Amino acid sequence: MSAVLGTAAVALGLAASVLGLATIALGLRRNHPGMLRTGQRYVWLVLGGAVLATAAMQYALLSNDFSLEYVANNHSRSTPLLYTVTTMWSALEGSILLWALVLAGYIAVMARHFRERAADPMVAWATLVALGVAAFFFALMAGPANPFQVVQGAVPTDGPGPNPLLQNHPLVAFHPPMLYLGYVGFTIPFAFALAALITGRLGEGWLVEARRWTLFAWGFLTLGIVLGAWWSYEVLGWGGYWAWDPVENASFLPWLTATAYVHSVMVQERRGMLRVWNLSLLVATFSLTILGTFLTRSGVLDSVHAFTESPIGPWILAFFALVTAVSIGLIGWRGDRLRSPGSIDAPVSREAAFLANNVAFAAFAFVVLLGTIFPLLAEAINGDQLSVGAPYFNRMTAPVGFTLLFLMAVAPALPWRKASAETLHRRVLWPAWAGTLTVVACVAFGLKGLGPLLAFGLAAFAGAAAIRQLALAAKAARRDGQPAWRGLLGRSSGGMVVHLGVVILAVGFAASSSYSHRGQFRLAPGESASLAGHTVTFLGTTTEERANKRTTQAQVRVDGGKVYEPALHQFRFGAQAIGSPSVRTGPLSDVYLTLVVPADPAGTVVIGVHVQPLVTWLWTGGAIMGFGTFLAAWPGRRRRPTAPDAEPVTEPGDVRQAEPAVVPS
Amino acid sequence: MSRKLTWAVLALVLAGTLFVGSRKESGPPTEDQRVQRISSVVRCPTCRGLSAAQSDAPPAEAIREEVRRRVQDGESDAEIKAYLVSRYGEDILLEPGADGVGIVVWALPVIGGVAAVGGLALVLHRRRVRPGRKASAADEALVARAMRR
Repeated sequence: MSAVLGTAAVALGLAASVLGLATIALGLRRNHPGMLRTGQRYVWLVLGGAVLATAAMQYALLSNDFSLEYVANNHSRSTPLLYTVTTMWSALEGSILLWALVLAGYIAVMARHFRERAADPMVAWATLVALGVAAFFFALMAGPANPFQVVQGAVPTDGPGPNPLLQNHPLVAFHPPMLYLGYVGFTIPFAFALAALITGRLGEGWLVEARRWTLFAWGFLTLGIVLGAWWSYEVLGWGGYWAWDPVENASFLPWLTATAYVHSVMVQERRGMLRVWNLSLLVATFSLTILGTFLTRSGVLDSVHAFTESPIGPWILAFFALVTAVSIGLIGWRGDRLRSPGSIDAPVSREAAFLANNVAFAAFAFVVLLGTIFPLLAEAINGDQLSVGAPYFNRMTAPVGFTLLFLMAVAPALPWRKASAETLHRRVLWPAWAGTLTVVACVAFGLKGLGPLLAFGLAAFAGAAAIRQLALAAKAARRDGQPAWRGLLGRSSGGMVVHLGVVILAVGFAASSSYSHRGQFRLAPGESASLAGHTVTFLGTTTEERANKRTTQAQVRVDGGKVYEPALHQFRFGAQAIGSPSVRTGPLSDVYLTLVVPADPAGTVVIGVHVQPLVTWLWTGGAIMGFGTFLAAWPGRRRRPTAPDAEPVTEPGDVRQAEPAVVPS
Repeated sequence: MSRKLTWAVLALVLAGTLFVGSRKESGPPTEDQRVQRISSVVRCPTCRGLSAAQSDAPPAEAIREEVRRRVQDGESDAEIKAYLVSRYGEDILLEPGADGVGIVVWALPVIGGVAAVGGLALVLHRRRVRPGRKASAADEALVARAMRR
């Protein structure tokens, strides 16, 4: 029954996307507002299809319906409830379904938001583009990645369950949905960017709305990436959280371009500059989410996330090529209208700093993209098998990271247009001393190494600059007769809170990657070992049988205190034993324990111990970034300049007229 | 204290502490340090994306032991890496060598970075020397009207 319902729901979603798209296209061609309104209503059918398909999948999983191939391959009767629900995104077909669900949700929110303006060509084109993307994902499910494929032959009575790594930690319920809310959310700004290009309404109005959607998606992507790092740390057992794995890079690339956009868009709002650049960033962000899906889902790159290999590679690559070609073509076609009316007055100014920020983010993205796809390129060029791994990425991105920290410290203090030496001196001096004294304190405590010392100094500099801005905002709110916390709402203060999160995260990254210690110890029960000032005592092992796995746990006492239990899990259908680390977390350092080799007949085990400082700062920084995004998305005290689809303002006396207005031909 | 002097003191303190903090410990690296240094740029053959220094997998341990044996035999870093490449293939190294096609992955970002910084400097410089635009009478009137509101 699930198969029939699911297939019908996918068909509904596909048909509604195509029909909605066609209706809007026809309405635009005939200039018929009624048809545009009707076309927009198809969005609700698309959402209905996605929700029904998801319900059918969940029902199939929960009712152990092994007549579906997806269920038979990825579910087992012994899988616990939580991981049965998350099985929907544990393999390719189901994750495409999750993508379609999130996309349909976003399009529905967009349609509701703009329901009054359905007949506006700008909104109509944006809806059309979004429906086109939805049609592609429903077509994938109707064709090569069908989650409702029925098993050929006899229906199995049980299945192997999801990949053992994906049923080992509750974070699997949060990390993928967050990531998808980020990834897929970039579809909406992309749709607006294309709509702006097509209608020729390239004024500043549309991008205010695009900025808010981008910010929303950006916040989710940030949380998704940080949760992914956390999952990696808690589950994979190698003691790290970021390996520059192709899939990690694939999620990081759109994050980099979107971050560049949320900064450079302010230059366009204020000064009307960087129009082509901002459109290109939105298009690149969306294209990179598609490229990332191709790289990680087609099996061309080896990755820990390559849970499935499938025939959808060529489809996604074709879609990526289409998106890129159409976007570049449109930008080329409209290039003459995009010439910016403003110009940068001084090299030491807010807009120049944003420009430098964008060059740094572009360089960052370029290095990550090049390193990720280089093994493919090298093999294509002359058949060489090469690897590009963490040492390359760390070495190449570190200078860019330092540059960005420095810009974070200086840029918020810079005024628009031109900064005088006096202003710089007054605003930057004490944050600069905060950074310098931090370096002095670190050296006094015996810390070594140019890289981490620079990172700590710059982070303190940037952190002090952000705190200075927040204090000023709070003071300004008080002066206006409002409570001080009101000053923390809105985009500029929210942005500074995000900066604080980045600073904390950067300190955690620099400290944990520079000052970590690791060792392996063969211990008999009762024996102890010490590493970096911590003592671990092995007490003994216990074994536990559950429906879906057998777990061997080692009891290890850390520093004479609490007992931790690193374990090895042998899943019923897994060939390899999966380790699960146990971590003593602390604000200053983590002691990370793994069971490397289970007990031999004499009861001796091998325990892996990693001592890493400030790992918790990574998660804290990520959470603060999320909170800052929330503050930034809060409707600020600043008035919204225009509606997203506003015509170029022509009212006499309006300041905007001072800029050459861009009028559609 | 004058403004320039303040910043000079700050720069001096910073440069001094960074110099002290980044000084290498004297003497050649220990055996452990060399094993760590080499195995952190060598891929673990069976685990995806991790170095031999990071992984607990048996093949990674085997590589670490091989590296340690060769360090004890007095081989140089380059000789040990060359051995690992002959044994496992070029892709055992996590950083491509600067010979052959691997040079591209190192050179492109550097060239691109230099071009980007140069371009940025050029844009900022050009914009600066261009004479500022004069406001027309219509603009002045516009501002005056806006101010009156």
